[in-house]
Amino acid sequence: MTAGSVALEGVTKRYGSETVVADVSVTIAPGEFFTLLGPSGSGKTTTLSMLAGFVVPDEGRVMLSGQDMTRVPPRGRGLGMVFQNYAIFPHLNVAENVAFPLTVKRAPKAEIARRVADAMAMVKLEGFEGRYARQLSGGQQQRVALARAIVAHPPVVLMDEPLGALDKNLRYHMQVEIKEISRRLGMTVIYVTHDQEEALTMSDRIAIMNRGRIAQMGPPREVYEKPDSSFVAAFLGEANLLKARRDGNAVAGPGGTRIDAGAGALGASDGLLFVRPEKVSIAAGGADGAPNTLPGQVRHASFLGNIVRYQVEVAEGATVLCDTANGAGAALHAPGDPVRLSWRAEDSRLLAA
Amino acid sequence: MPVRIPTAWLLLAPALLLLAGLFLFPIGWFLHASISELGTWSEILTEAEDVLLSGAISRSLVTTGWIGVVVTLLVLVIGYPMSYALSRARGWVFTAILLCIVLPYFTSTIVRTYAWMVLLGRNGLINQILLGLGLVGEPVNLLYNRTGVIIGMTYVLLPYMVLTLFAAMKAVDPRLMQAAEGMGASPAQVFRKVFMPLTLHGVVAGVLITFILAIGFFVTPALMGGPSDVMIAMLIEREVEITQNWPSAALMTIVLLVVTLALYAVYSRFAEPGEAVR
Amino acid sequence: MTDLIRLNRRLLLGTALAAPFVARPALAAGEVIVRTPGGTYDDVMRKYVYEPFTRETGITVRPVAATSAKLLAMFRAGNVELDLIDTGAGQLLTLDRMGALAPIAYDKWRWTKPEDISPELKSANRVSNFVYCTVLGYSKEAFPNGAPDSWAQFWDAGKFPGPRMLGDMASGSAHLEFALLADGVPKDKLYPLDVERALRVMDRIRPQIRRFWDTGALSAQMLSDKEVVAGSIWNGRLQVLIDRGAPLAYTWNEHMIQVQAMGIFKDARNVAGAQLLADYMLQAEVQAKYARDLIYGPTNTKSFPLMTEEERARAPGGPRSTQTGFYQNNEWWEDNRDRVNRQWSRWVQK
Repeated sequence: MTAGSVALEGVTKRYGSETVVADVSVTIAPGEFFTLLGPSGSGKTTTLSMLAGFVVPDEGRVMLSGQDMTRVPPRGRGLGMVFQNYAIFPHLNVAENVAFPLTVKRAPKAEIARRVADAMAMVKLEGFEGRYARQLSGGQQQRVALARAIVAHPPVVLMDEPLGALDKNLRYHMQVEIKEISRRLGMTVIYVTHDQEEALTMSDRIAIMNRGRIAQMGPPREVYEKPDSSFVAAFLGEANLLKARRDGNAVAGPGGTRIDAGAGALGASDGLLFVRPEKVSIAAGGADGAPNTLPGQVRHASFLGNIVRYQVEVAEGATVLCDTANGAGAALHAPGDPVRLSWRAEDSRLLAA
Repeated sequence: MPVRIPTAWLLLAPALLLLAGLFLFPIGWFLHASISELGTWSEILTEAEDVLLSGAISRSLVTTGWIGVVVTLLVLVIGYPMSYALSRARGWVFTAILLCIVLPYFTSTIVRTYAWMVLLGRNGLINQILLGLGLVGEPVNLLYNRTGVIIGMTYVLLPYMVLTLFAAMKAVDPRLMQAAEGMGASPAQVFRKVFMPLTLHGVVAGVLITFILAIGFFVTPALMGGPSDVMIAMLIEREVEITQNWPSAALMTIVLLVVTLALYAVYSRFAEPGEAVR
Repeated sequence: MTDLIRLNRRLLLGTALAAPFVARPALAAGEVIVRTPGGTYDDVMRKYVYEPFTRETGITVRPVAATSAKLLAMFRAGNVELDLIDTGAGQLLTLDRMGALAPIAYDKWRWTKPEDISPELKSANRVSNFVYCTVLGYSKEAFPNGAPDSWAQFWDAGKFPGPRMLGDMASGSAHLEFALLADGVPKDKLYPLDVERALRVMDRIRPQIRRFWDTGALSAQMLSDKEVVAGSIWNGRLQVLIDRGAPLAYTWNEHMIQVQAMGIFKDARNVAGAQLLADYMLQAEVQAKYARDLIYGPTNTKSFPLMTEEERARAPGGPRSTQTGFYQNNEWWEDNRDRVNRQWSRWVQK
């Protein structure tokens, strides 16, 4: 197997009677930007710790570049790492911090100097070599952590909520830079976050974790638009989840309205009909009997700048969210206005409740 | 929450008053009363020369310094791993270690010193064990010599070092060590390149406080030492009690006080919170 | 006798130094505060002296501990907290020379006849209340075929091997007298001590000396714990061990007789009460009782006939004692203590 590939094979970790990670299997290709996304306590950090070697799994194997590393200590794994809270050594200056992975390997002095300079340039921190962590801003500390993770050109870099402590603007900026650097160096990145937007922006693939298991895994667009479960649907962005019954090849939605559902229509007779707010179109006027149409009444309209979000009450008291682009000449609907909501069958899915 | 300066002084006032009333004033009175007894400045200088240049005090200073250094190093070597264990222990293990360190201090130094004398004597427990195991042919002299002083003082001073180091070690973020490990450092490297530098200011503080306490020791060397283990505090006591030569005692006290204060000045620089040494 | 718990001296000294600035305690009506060596001594004195004295006069007696440094500090700070000083003759001499003591009112004595106290044991401001002595003690087990019977034999480590001990300056005075005796100086030619010679003689036995003891407690402990096989020791301390069955013994040969004495602080609050107590304590019958229990020698010549033959035989300063022993010369020690201490400190640290 190629250098930089990562695989988890049926990995399980228990603490006492609690199973923190349950039978997780993933294969990550070299150069892939792979994100573990999930709420806190979903097992994503434990999974990362097993990759890093801080935690030994109870079952299963951890493979790095095709080699079984399950029981190899962290220092034998040759990974780059960015830690939550950065873990900058307070007794070392920036250059010494960045050089750390090379110094512990006893790399030649000249090589260390060259690589540190490269890494510092890459994270745009030239001139900060002699500073100490307490003299740096949060963003600068982040860059130091990043430079330190890549300085030895590891094939795989693990990042544990690296941007968690930064404010929104800086975060976006760093997201782009991390992505850019990872692409330039061709390294495999395994990225842990609880921020779905960040995951969607940066990843080649996302694994959404819930209660120690991978709920769904796939490219951002796929997991966003074709969630397999109401958990994934709700965790990633806004979702309309309407009570629905299966009715032959179609679905009976609120008020018994017949609606076509996408290919993901799932087994059981009862479920939740999923559709993203931005996939719902809204038109003035009441029911017209057209397929895939729900009549309703505007309850609330929120102006969010680039979009307008409507809360529309449909039959059985259910509420549907509908986002419309605030494009040129877009008509506005006022609360109380009767409206018709519709969407394409392939944009909706019937999910298990 | 930061305490405002006037409030801080107010909170310190009782301690300062106590210190002034029970330490500064009496010691000032003692030094003044003793030295003024000598008369003029030139007479004081003559006596100072006599006392300080007499072989007794220079020998005693060498003895004191030597014992201080050896004891401090021993305490450091024994105390560092103990402190580390304490800083990593949780729950009942932590309580157990802490109790083992602190509990003996609920009894007086004299009692503890006598306990050592029972253990270390020619017919004491340790010699009986050594003889019983056939490790030695005749009793080893562990008491009434330098060895005895060093064993006794090391024991008495250990907690000062352990608690000082513990505070420094507890302040080290364990994630830094994990980070170092993750970046390829071996356990030895994690210790040498991360843990030790981060606890170095604690080591310096612990060494200084131990040494300061050690050079002022009286009870342990007086009880456990041999003929030549005369530490400076014993010499002062002798001047006060036996010859009742207070001027001479006062001059020796000044020597000890100056050395102690100088070391304390260094100590306070290292013990300054938030001023970790790089 | 300076056998206080010396370990507490620092503490006591601290208190003494702070004392001048602490308010005087309210004066108890009819109370004499007396400085004593403490410990068993207080129990014995309470039984035979203090309590009978209180019954007789209504004046209560409160024994307190005070080191010589504390006594000196009290006097210098002009804050005398006690009335009667019961301490080693040497220390009392120091205080007397500083002018701290009031004359003993021999002419007003009610119970004791001044002429019964041996003349060498009383002076204008000081009067001795008992004598004790430092003897050559040894372990019977260590010397089954004959123990050292003189200081010369004590110095003979070839014939009498084993670790030994002698008194340090901190015990009150270094035992230079024994060194000179070992070197052949006759008992009556000891003073003035030839310190250099004594230290040279000390050099010879030094390798055998496990420790120069500073407190009576330490000397007793070292002998009973078999840390040493022989050494100089106060007779009272040793007798207690022997009476308890320890396999120890001593020779009366060449023992040093030392004197305990009383003085009254000139500025004491209850000088009259202190005079009465001294008078009461020195009676022949009273002295006979406490001397017997403490294994000390009485200073009242009339006490000896009140004692049994055995008690007389082991009493320091008794007829047998004065023949085989010698009196320590306090005057010489007081004149030379400073110089000797410095020489000793230098020598002992060699």
